[in-house]
Amino acid sequence: MSKEETFKLLSDAVVSCKKDAVLAAVEKAKSEGIEPAEIIEKGLASGMNSVGIMFERGKLFLPHVMMAAGAMEAGVKLLEADMPKDAAKKKLAVIVNGTVEGDVHDIGKSIVSTMLQSSGFEVHDLGRDVPLQDFIDKVKETGASMVGMSALMTTTLPGQREVIEMLKEQGLRDKVKVMVGGAPATQTWADKIGADCYAENASEAVARAKELLL
Amino acid sequence: MGDGKRVYLTKEQILTDLRDGMADAVDLGDIPELSGDELDKLMDIITMPSRMVGVEAGMEVPVTHDIGTIRLDGDQGNSGVGIPSSRLVGCMVHERAFGADTMELGHIDYSFKPVKPVIAQEMQTMEVCQQNMIIPLLYGAMPNMGLYYTPDGPFENPGDLMKAFKIQEAQESMEHAAKHLTRDIVWIMQRMMASGADGVNFDTVGAAGDGDMYASLHAIEALRKQYPDMYIEAGMAGELMLGLHGEMAYDGTVLAGLWPHQQAPLVAKAGANIFGPVVNTNTSKSFAWNLGRAVTFVKAAVKASPIPCHVNMGMGVGGIPMLETPTIDAVSRASKAMVEIANVDGI
Repeated sequence: MSKEETFKLLSDAVVSCKKDAVLAAVEKAKSEGIEPAEIIEKGLASGMNSVGIMFERGKLFLPHVMMAAGAMEAGVKLLEADMPKDAAKKKLAVIVNGTVEGDVHDIGKSIVSTMLQSSGFEVHDLGRDVPLQDFIDKVKETGASMVGMSALMTTTLPGQREVIEMLKEQGLRDKVKVMVGGAPATQTWADKIGADCYAENASEAVARAKELLL
Repeated sequence: MGDGKRVYLTKEQILTDLRDGMADAVDLGDIPELSGDELDKLMDIITMPSRMVGVEAGMEVPVTHDIGTIRLDGDQGNSGVGIPSSRLVGCMVHERAFGADTMELGHIDYSFKPVKPVIAQEMQTMEVCQQNMIIPLLYGAMPNMGLYYTPDGPFENPGDLMKAFKIQEAQESMEHAAKHLTRDIVWIMQRMMASGADGVNFDTVGAAGDGDMYASLHAIEALRKQYPDMYIEAGMAGELMLGLHGEMAYDGTVLAGLWPHQQAPLVAKAGANIFGPVVNTNTSKSFAWNLGRAVTFVKAAVKASPIPCHVNMGMGVGGIPMLETPTIDAVSRASKAMVEIANVDGI
């Protein structure tokens, strides 16, 4: 089997959302002497990227994304022993993500967190109905370079603006990129409140985060 | 715009947006494009100088109503205008003043589950309404399967289970909830039919994902079997059937990921008389983009549907901007386009 075929096997295994298939594909790739970093980047991450695209197009759904992410995580774990210690733990960037105070909507924000994690970011998901100061405190604690904020109601949307103001007041705005999302959020809203980007869905959130942070 | 903002576009910009919206539907649904003539007609409808437009003579279609009488008497942050009136008065106003072709009786909570404890009142009201009305009067409610999960119901919340990566447990919880929802809908409708109801309107099928649609289809099937002549209308919650379970199937078809033209045959197969397709409005796009997209999706659904299609038209659906009280210029234009281009049988 050529290297390209093995990468496709790895990618397809992730898309199948089956842990067993991913583990078998990783074992096969290892036995062919492919470097762990390549297995992850060109095989598993590529598969997760396809999952993201299929999710965006309504071909796969949240349970599938989570199963695929779980399967990929298991595959990466299998490779960790063969990777340099630092490489195994190295993350692209740190992101704090949450749904702003007063808003209990969770699913969309959780999908974004899962997709960001699967793409190699270290994500601190604060959950839903998050007090605004908690975003700031977590940024300070983790040294995060991005804050993601979701709001599903027009009444809670202003919380996103308030966090941006609080970041400014506490001298953090220049060190942190801000991403906003949620049903009532738009690019116009993001521009108005001075966010760095708006993402309509989870795949776009990953793309915007990579554009801004890498 | 889809969020209600007023913008000014040139004819070329409108045509570009119409084409882009159509292309989005074609791409996502794998459905045919609109013809050049149809795009021209859409352009004519959008650019008509009148504030309000109507369908051509002879093309009038029936108008059915959901949300019961809540649009009149509701005043709790829903779509109502807070006019104190009984539900009998509300139903009769729809029949005799608003020109509704069918009407429905609905409970203030408007989901099936909360009807159970007040079933006697619903039966009594249905009987009184039927004694005073001529047009078909259905009983309407939302399947709303979310009410069967904690903290509102007996089954563990799939959202919480999924957060803990308990995917299988989440799926099992949805399967249990679906069985109970089917059972409740059938139980309620048996009593409403005994009180003279002409049928049932399933409003927002699939709001809680594929499990919600699964339960609704099985309820439709059971009701059709028991009442061969009852009128069953099934309106969807959104354009795409969200796969919160992901693997639930009806008649061998996986429900997750179905677009309107794929939903229609299943709803018909279950035994409904009317299918209500929905196409969601994108608040970041123009009215032209949204209308081009919505008409393309609905036209394909009408073509694929073996039963009449009454398209959902209101705030945030059918190309109409997402406003609590949508503007009449957008509503009337979108409605005209749905009748004259998408060939819907009703609204």
